Amino acid sequence: MAEELTYEPAAGPEDVGETEHVPATITQKSLNDDLLKLIGPPGKWWWTIFLIDLAILAVGGIAVRNQIVHGIGVAGHTRPVMWASYVANFVFWVGIAHCGTLVSAILFLFRSHFRRAVYRVAEAMTVFGVMTAGLFPILHLGRPWFPYWLFPYPSQRQIWPNFRSPLEWDVFAVTTYLTVSSIFFFVGIIPDAAAARDRQKNPFMRLILTLFSFGWNGSNTQWKHFYGAYLYFAALATPLVLSVHSVVSWDFAMANVPGWHSTIFAPYFVAGAIFSGVALVINLLIPIRSAFKLQHIVTTDHIEKLSKLVLLTSTIVTYSYLVEFFLAWYGPNKFERDLFWWRATGHFAWAFWIMFTCNSIIPLLLWFKKVRRSMPVVFVLMLFVNVGMWFERFVIIITSLAHPFDPSTWDINYRMSWTEGAILAGSFAWFFMYFLLFVRLLPAFSVAEIKETLTPPMRRKRA
Amino acid sequence: MIQALGGLIEKLLAGRPQRYEGVMGIFYYVDDATEAVRTLRQHGHKNLSVFSPVPHHDIERAMEQGPSLVRWVTFGGAVLGITGGFGLCFYSVSSYPLVVGGKELMSLPPFVVIGYESMILLGALANLLGMLALGRLPALRNKAPYDPRFSEDKIGIWVPCSGNAAVKVQEMMRGHGAEEVQVHA
Repeated sequence: MAEELTYEPAAGPEDVGETEHVPATITQKSLNDDLLKLIGPPGKWWWTIFLIDLAILAVGGIAVRNQIVHGIGVAGHTRPVMWASYVANFVFWVGIAHCGTLVSAILFLFRSHFRRAVYRVAEAMTVFGVMTAGLFPILHLGRPWFPYWLFPYPSQRQIWPNFRSPLEWDVFAVTTYLTVSSIFFFVGIIPDAAAARDRQKNPFMRLILTLFSFGWNGSNTQWKHFYGAYLYFAALATPLVLSVHSVVSWDFAMANVPGWHSTIFAPYFVAGAIFSGVALVINLLIPIRSAFKLQHIVTTDHIEKLSKLVLLTSTIVTYSYLVEFFLAWYGPNKFERDLFWWRATGHFAWAFWIMFTCNSIIPLLLWFKKVRRSMPVVFVLMLFVNVGMWFERFVIIITSLAHPFDPSTWDINYRMSWTEGAILAGSFAWFFMYFLLFVRLLPAFSVAEIKETLTPPMRRKRA
Repeated sequence: MIQALGGLIEKLLAGRPQRYEGVMGIFYYVDDATEAVRTLRQHGHKNLSVFSPVPHHDIERAMEQGPSLVRWVTFGGAVLGITGGFGLCFYSVSSYPLVVGGKELMSLPPFVVIGYESMILLGALANLLGMLALGRLPALRNKAPYDPRFSEDKIGIWVPCSGNAAVKVQEMMRGHGAEEVQVHA
């Protein structure tokens, strides 16, 4: 009887902020139906994409095997460019991962309700992004079977890692980020996995969902401690996300290399990370909402708000590019001045201008509301942003190393080898493999949090 | 084979049948459930539990729930993390004093990064453990009969009681707009 009722519209002005992102016709029951239908046997489209993805991953795997058998020399690293695409890929994927924490933690603390419909996808992207990023420092090791030497553990030789090295800071920052973002992600899933478990008929799926739900029953005690902890996860993840990309930027900024040794690097990298991360979230959300007909949950408003974030961070990134050039011109360091001139006009100028066009010029289209609200246009723009952000890392790393202090060491011999190219493609396949599995196995949208956006059912109207 | 495995999983998930003693009222409206909680508590039923698909502040207030203690566990973990992080750095350079790049052995600024990240790592782990312990998770056995509608759109109020008290509780719940009342004896 009461199940047929839909919710009353917002009762007072205090409720308007809560309901503005979800149409009034949506009910708690319909949300369960709409959002949990994603979990189930995949169709032929999913299988086609998944198999193509696995094929690309296999090519990446062959390239990794090639490198392990023949050594790191098969990568195109040539003196003086001994950090190249692997480090660029590492920074790119860590950057991609940042959006999830921004949307889930920072916007949670700011009480931005629009995050509720999109944050789970962003969080999943964070976890899978860090899992992808973490592969690259290992692949870059001469002997990739010794990555555990990076961790502090008591050994017979009593040797400890060098805690004064930025590379060791990276180990702590990235592993902490992977751990905390995974915890945040899996804790958030608990109530939704329980909702999915309760309607699941397949025993195997029920087992998976029961494990992810931790036996959740939605009691007042569980909710109390869940939200008590959730607030602190957000409070801990916010400074963490800012520190992780700062630490990544210090891998470069702590070195006395022209183009790297700058105090602007930490905020510049954090803004760039959020910029690329939000762009990829939009790239993931647009196909998902259209494939599963979720336009009423992930609305054009949500995409527009995320596009505004991209626009904001694009302006910060552009400002950083300009400040870098200004400081090089205005400052006393002639090596710095020479490098920046070379970046824009030298051998790798094409990469620099791809970066500048994709990150600073193309996003200017987002100033137009019509552009922000057109899904195909936004989708293509975000692809450009991600291409631009990969090139940003390429430019920072390769141009600085190819053009250091001593002109006798300048060299432009670096060419990306097929091994590096295949591993880069494989990293995308690795990321999307997890993402495709996630969409089909776990709740890709936070049912409980979106329900909180609805006006609660009241028999008596509030005064 | 797959069917047999499926049957085994079903058995495993169903667990052993449990016996409950009490009354479960199922509500749709939040204000009805809130009033029912308030009345039941006024009549001495302080040990009740409420199940819902989302938390409701009105019900939390009626239950007179204080803030979660998990924050103190988190704080403890964070303090342990920051002291552990700095401690590890100090211990490692003193146990194997190796000057690298002419830098001071006890270099505080770089150790801040290790201490800071360790603080966040252990704070988050303690937060997780605190939430699981205080929320009694993973819950292998339910202390009240569970209904899958609680994860959809219904609110359940469970009052452990028996005999005459159960009859009174049943009446109170119906009087406050319960859609369904189940008595478990």
